[in-house]
Amino acid sequence: MIQSVRRAASILRELGAGQPRLGITELADRLGLAKATVYGLIRALEEDELVERDAETGKYRLGPALLQLGNAFLDGHELRARSLLWADSLATRTSEAVRVGVPNRWNILIVHHVFRPDNSVQILEVGAAIPWHASALGKATAAYRDEAGIGELLAGPLPRLTGRTIVEPAELRSALESIRHEGHAVEDQEAVIGEAELAAPVIDHDGHAVGAIGVVGPVERLLPDGKVREDVLAAVKEVARGLSRDLGGVRRFANHR
Amino acid sequence: MGRVTQLDGGFVLRWMREMAGDIHDQRDFLTQLDAAIGDADHGINMDRGFAAALAKLEAEPDGPPGDLLETVGTTLVLSVGGAAGPLYGSAIRQMGRALDGAKTFDAETLLILLRAGLEEVQRLGAAQVGDKTIVDALTPAIEAYERGLRSGDDLVGATSRAHAAAEEGMRATIPLQARKGRASYLGARSAGHQDPGATSTTILFDSLQRAAAWEAGP
Repeated sequence: MIQSVRRAASILRELGAGQPRLGITELADRLGLAKATVYGLIRALEEDELVERDAETGKYRLGPALLQLGNAFLDGHELRARSLLWADSLATRTSEAVRVGVPNRWNILIVHHVFRPDNSVQILEVGAAIPWHASALGKATAAYRDEAGIGELLAGPLPRLTGRTIVEPAELRSALESIRHEGHAVEDQEAVIGEAELAAPVIDHDGHAVGAIGVVGPVERLLPDGKVREDVLAAVKEVARGLSRDLGGVRRFANHR
Repeated sequence: MGRVTQLDGGFVLRWMREMAGDIHDQRDFLTQLDAAIGDADHGINMDRGFAAALAKLEAEPDGPPGDLLETVGTTLVLSVGGAAGPLYGSAIRQMGRALDGAKTFDAETLLILLRAGLEEVQRLGAAQVGDKTIVDALTPAIEAYERGLRSGDDLVGATSRAHAAAEEGMRATIPLQARKGRASYLGARSAGHQDPGATSTTILFDSLQRAAAWEAGP
C-alpha cells in the first residue's frame, strides 16, 4: 500500500519534471517499473484527475485536480493569507515586486508574489523553490533558526547559481550572524545576475521565523552604487514587523533585534 | 575574395552595425522566447542596448578597436536591464581591454578576445555548457573558431564555422532544463523552450561572420 503511494507520487513527479507528456512505456522505463504496474497506477490517478490523458498522443500529463490541490495548499497557508494586503502595500510603496517565502528543506518556497506595479510583463513565481542561501528570503529565515537547524542547512547542498552566490559554509554562517544582528537580509545577484533582494523575517508567537517577505528588483535600483536603498529597506522591515504582529510574534521579534 | 589579415576599429564598427540591425530585426522573436521563462524583455533590452552602443560608436568611430569594444560594453552594462546587460556588456568590455590599445589585430588575436569574453561570462554567471545559457552557444562557437584557424581557415571561414557551432549549441538548449538564472528555479517550465541568451549569442556570431565577409571584400 505504502509502496503504491510512493510509486504514484513518483509518477506525478516525473510528469512534473520537464517533459510534460509521457507514455506508459516511457514512464515505466524512467521509473524502473513494470508497464502493468504503471498502467494500474495511472488509471487510478486518472480517475481522480491527478493525471489526464492527451487525446491526440495518448500520452499522460498532470491533471487539473493538482491545480486545485495547489490552490488549497496556498489558501490554507497562514503566512500567505496574512501577507496578501501587506505585500500589496509594500509593492505600491516601493514600486517594486514583492515575494513572500517559507522554508522548505534546502529551498525557500515562494508562496506569494506581487508584480512590480509598472504594467510590464512579468512571470509569476509562486511555487518557485529557490536555494535558501542564494535568496534574501532564505537567508532571513535561516538566520532565525536554532544552531542545529543552521548547522543542518550549512551541511546541505549549496549550489552556485551565479559567480556571486555564497557557497562557503563559514562565510554563510557569518552572513547569518549579521542578518540576526541587523534584522534583515540582502542578496546581491546571488540567484540571478542583475537582480537584488532585500528581505526581513516574519516571526510567529513562538519566536520562530515562519518565513520572510522581501522586495526583489534590478540591482541598480535596490543597491545603487552597491549601497542598500534605505527607504525600501525601512518599508520591508516595517511590513515584516506588521506581519509578525499579526501572527502574534512582535514581542519576541523585538527581542531578536 | 581576399584573405583578411589585419582588423581595425572599422571592423568593430561594422560588426556592431550588423549586430544592432539583426537584434532589431529579431527583437520580437527574442522577446517571445523570453516570455516562456523570463520577464519577456530580452529582445527589447538587447535592441535598446545595441542601438545605444552603435549610436555612441557612430558618433566617435575613429578610436582603436579595443576602445570601441569597451565603449560598446560599458553602454550595454548601463542601458540593458536584467542579466543580459551585465553579461554581454562585461564580456565585450573585457574583449576590448584584452586588446590593450592595439591599433589593429588579427584572426589569432580575435580568438584570445573571444576567450576573454567567455571567461568573463563564466566569472559572473558560473555557468557551464548544458546549463541552458549564453555559454551553450558561446563555448562551441569559440572551439569551432579555433578548429577553423588550426585547419587553415581564414577569418571568414573560421567565423562562419563559429556561427554554425553557435547555432547548433543554441538548438541543443531546447530540451534542456535551465540550471542557471530565474528559469532554473521555476521548475520544469524551461524545458522545451530555446534559451534566449544562447539565441542572441548566435546572432552575435552571425553578425561577426558577416562583418568578416565584408572585410574580405567581394
